[in-house]
Amino acid sequence: MGAAGSAGLVASLATLKDVNGIMGSFVFTEDGRLVAREISPLFDDTALTEASGRLTRLRETFAAVGDRLDAAVVRFRDHKLYLKVLGAGMLCIVAEGAVNMPALRMAANLVGRRIVPALERAAHEPPLPTQAPAPERQPGLAPPGMRRFRGRPVE
Amino acid sequence: MSTGVERELGPTPQPASAIGFHAQLEGASLWDLVQMECLARSRLVVQVTGEGGVGYLYFDGGHVVHAATARRLGQAAALEILGWTRGTFRASDRSWPSSGPTIDVSHESLLLHAAKDRDERGASNLVAFPGRVTIAPEDVEVLEIEEEGEEDMRNPNIDDTPVPPVPPRGESPADFPVMVRLSAQGAVLRNKGGSEELAEATAYGHRLVQLTGELLGLEQFVAIECTFASDHFIIFSEKDGEIVALRPRPELNLQPLRDRLGL
Repeated sequence: MGAAGSAGLVASLATLKDVNGIMGSFVFTEDGRLVAREISPLFDDTALTEASGRLTRLRETFAAVGDRLDAAVVRFRDHKLYLKVLGAGMLCIVAEGAVNMPALRMAANLVGRRIVPALERAAHEPPLPTQAPAPERQPGLAPPGMRRFRGRPVE
Repeated sequence: MSTGVERELGPTPQPASAIGFHAQLEGASLWDLVQMECLARSRLVVQVTGEGGVGYLYFDGGHVVHAATARRLGQAAALEILGWTRGTFRASDRSWPSSGPTIDVSHESLLLHAAKDRDERGASNLVAFPGRVTIAPEDVEVLEIEEEGEEDMRNPNIDDTPVPPVPPRGESPADFPVMVRLSAQGAVLRNKGGSEELAEATAYGHRLVQLTGELLGLEQFVAIECTFASDHFIIFSEKDGEIVALRPRPELNLQPLRDRLGL
């Protein structure tokens, strides 16, 4: 994802910051593709994409033992991550450790409901090409008539 | 300078006031206490005040290593304390015995013995064992029966201020049908009620969230609570790197555990 995501999605994520202690959030599809972010640039897209992949695997890990993840709270020393499964993907909120959890849960539920349609659309769109793949070049395989060595045509 | 006790039982624990929680466990049983402290591999002394007087349970590394009452020491004292049906308990800064551990059976075995004794008495102690209340100084006086060879390792800086009440926890081992303990290397140290796959999922899930935290610059994983369609699953790291996973009964109030783990 090169851009921060659709404006509507980002605007919805921004409302999460009404809850004191929420530092930002991002959304990714169930295949771990980052769709939108509303978080400090300190968290670069590469890190968020890798985190998305791992959190998707976390969901798959529990699914493998028969547990369908609905939400999760991860406590680190000074911070919390809140994950909310949204059908076609997940919402991940980064917060300070002392964040008001009931408020965060409620905000996540509301924002989750609001962004589900956009997330589902994004999940069904093909990923944006980051760069057109360069045609593979194999030296010595120039078309007939164009094979040259030191300026002379060769057969 | 290390004392004899330190040499035998390891370094003296830091005062409880420095870090950690004070708690009042309304309605918890002593047996819950033993299970939880052993599961947590705590090193601490718990002062129990019950109908038989006052006693102390010493926990270290997942075992009850020593116990003392006014009349008994060691396993006999532990069984006496576990036979009490009502009272209070709290962390204590009482000194550790210089003679080393006096109980060499597992806590499970100890509880089995206590259950057998209870059955023989026809009474249950799995009834309300009200949480700690402020212990009157006169009660404390009764306790001050120093064991032979004990050294007073009381720290004058310890805050003995009564702990304000907290909501009841009421957890018992039956509240956690699944308990898994993994070593830092992922070896299954204990698995009560969980499948091998669940232990593997615990180890992998723990690693994934740890890596996610590192990626995002969120240091030191503490715990994760997963909410599923009908229940919860909690994984937390301990200081020694061991990983504990609990699946509580769906109807259990998780707030006290959440508070304890910062969730």
